[in-house]
Amino acid sequence: MRGRAGRLFPLPWPLFLLLALQLIGQELTVKDTLGRTVVVPARVSRVLSLQPEITRIIAALGADDRLVGRDDFIARFDYLSSIISPRLSQLPAASAPDGTPDLELVMRLNPDLIFASPSEASISDYLQSKTGIPVLAFASMGRFSGLLEEIRWTGAVLGRKDRADELIGYFRQTLGRVQKAIADIPAGRRPRVYLSFWSSFTRTPVFYEPVNAAGGRNLAEGLMPAYLGTLGTEVSLEKILGWDPEVILLHGSYLPAERKVTTSSVLDDPRLRSVRAVRDKRVYYTLGFWYWWDPALVLVETLMLAKLFYPQRFRALDLRSEANAVFKTFYGIEGGFDTLGRLLDIPDRPWR
Amino acid sequence: MKENRRKRRAALAAVIVALPIILFFVSLNVGSYPIPLRDVGKSLLSLVVPSFRSEVPPAVRDIILLIRLPRLLLAVAAGASLAVSGAALQALFKNPLVNEYILGLSSGSAFGAALSLVFLGRAFPPQAGAFLFAVVAVLAVLLMAGRLEASLVSLLLTGVIVSAFFSALLMLVEFLASPYALQSLFYWLMGNLSLAGWGDLALSLPLMAAGLALLFLLRWRLNVLSMNEEEARAMGVDVRREKWLVILAATLITAAATSVAGIIGWLGLIVPHLVRMAAGVDNRSVIPLSAALGASFLLAADAAARSLTSIEIPIGIFTSLIGIPVFLALLNKSKKVWL
Repeated sequence: MRGRAGRLFPLPWPLFLLLALQLIGQELTVKDTLGRTVVVPARVSRVLSLQPEITRIIAALGADDRLVGRDDFIARFDYLSSIISPRLSQLPAASAPDGTPDLELVMRLNPDLIFASPSEASISDYLQSKTGIPVLAFASMGRFSGLLEEIRWTGAVLGRKDRADELIGYFRQTLGRVQKAIADIPAGRRPRVYLSFWSSFTRTPVFYEPVNAAGGRNLAEGLMPAYLGTLGTEVSLEKILGWDPEVILLHGSYLPAERKVTTSSVLDDPRLRSVRAVRDKRVYYTLGFWYWWDPALVLVETLMLAKLFYPQRFRALDLRSEANAVFKTFYGIEGGFDTLGRLLDIPDRPWR
Repeated sequence: MKENRRKRRAALAAVIVALPIILFFVSLNVGSYPIPLRDVGKSLLSLVVPSFRSEVPPAVRDIILLIRLPRLLLAVAAGASLAVSGAALQALFKNPLVNEYILGLSSGSAFGAALSLVFLGRAFPPQAGAFLFAVVAVLAVLLMAGRLEASLVSLLLTGVIVSAFFSALLMLVEFLASPYALQSLFYWLMGNLSLAGWGDLALSLPLMAAGLALLFLLRWRLNVLSMNEEEARAMGVDVRREKWLVILAATLITAAATSVAGIIGWLGLIVPHLVRMAAGVDNRSVIPLSAALGASFLLAADAAARSLTSIEIPIGIFTSLIGIPVFLALLNKSKKVWL
């Protein structure tokens, strides 16, 4: 079965572990990110998504009318969902703040399929055994290949394969344009980038693909994650001074009032004054994770970073109209990026 | 025999006092940025001899003077504060199991930091929240226990109850927090010296210095307070006032240390015991030696946290991982609980 899956999908993503798709009568057998084998009914008309990234993908696939419930993060913290699909705001939250599902509500919502986060590994089995409803744990795990596979498989189980392929093609094509424009730049001449994520200046992702795809070098790449199963680690201020990054990117997905690390706090910190990015005032916000990714937003982020790293090469790129086009393609909405920009205080250029 | 013991104790005391000074200068040379010894010296000297400024790269000078120096000063001050606070409260409560957090201080400060990190944003930093609620928790204990007229046992019990109350409030905040805010909170709760700058020390360092000085001056009275209250009164000591002063000073220094460094456990329990094993139970020497050993302990733990892995492991983890086995080994060797 593994070999057959490999032939069908020549770009297997190791973390995804989607090793098998098998038609048994009218059902699909799918292996999820946790390596669990799950039998999904052929017709899925009621979906409960407890994974924000999947909820957004379902909206992008145009299947949000099948959603019967959402998770607590989307319900309480996600400003994005009201922009991409107002319908999401009406759905009940079927999980507690700690991710524990509300079993009674789940049973009452009576979904055909539940999507859960692989971060809380035990929840998927628990939920499936208690309700008898198939539970798929999917996430991009912070990789483009993972995100695209996630779109593909969500499309497959929801019967939206063509739409999924369309989105995947658009994503790859847009990304390909960026990569073509920077292909000739040798590794040694790409900017050294330090990312400050998750509300602390010294917390950083050990892998962040939008930076690599836009032609930057993430200085923390390859370090051991401090939080097992995640992409984050802690480094010292000394280490950052030793790296001497040319660009510093701060996690900008938080609403402006909720940002603990701001560009001005970094630029004004006397301990960082010898760092090249601070001396050159190349300290900016980037969008970053927001409980995994939003597929449109991470594409916009990559374009934004490419323009930031190589302003000359991308001078013809009209970020605002391009970003709005990405939102239109994914969610069918006009001015999606403008709306988000007002919310997050993002101008139509790499921003401080 | 007694003379030998006295000499041995005096030698040990001298080592304990010298240790933080040695560790301080060794630690100045520890870090992920390799800096030659002479550049460390020149950076320090540039504070008094301006001509040295041009002799070291600006990044090196900033690392020594703006990153390592405040961090090490915080380690010294917080280590001394937590250890002295534990020693003073153990003497006051006549109980070897008492630690610096016994009056609800750690759960109060954790709740304060959580409020700030989860709900209040940049305008109300976690340091301010931690300090404020640490003091609130201890005041609540004192008020509920009947303004110190109650017995010490009821004070301890009230401390346990107030701790439980603030722990429940902390759990409520954690339950309501977003996953991102929760991450910051967990990291704060593990204790951390890595981000300490001069700005963080501007208020906390004078508070710790003042509280430590007060407890140092009160050290002989702790000997009297650890007796029966009637005996203490007979010796002309105003027991109520002295208790207030000890608790006030211990609260002040622990709250100031915790607000900047997070919750660093076990120091106030382990260090005074080690000191008593080495130098006897006289608080006139226990207080200053606890300060010296507490400072050394935190300096060593911080150096280990900075140099053993590529990740900055929170120091609270190290103090427990190093301190508990050392403490158990020594306790086993001495076969005696000291007070």
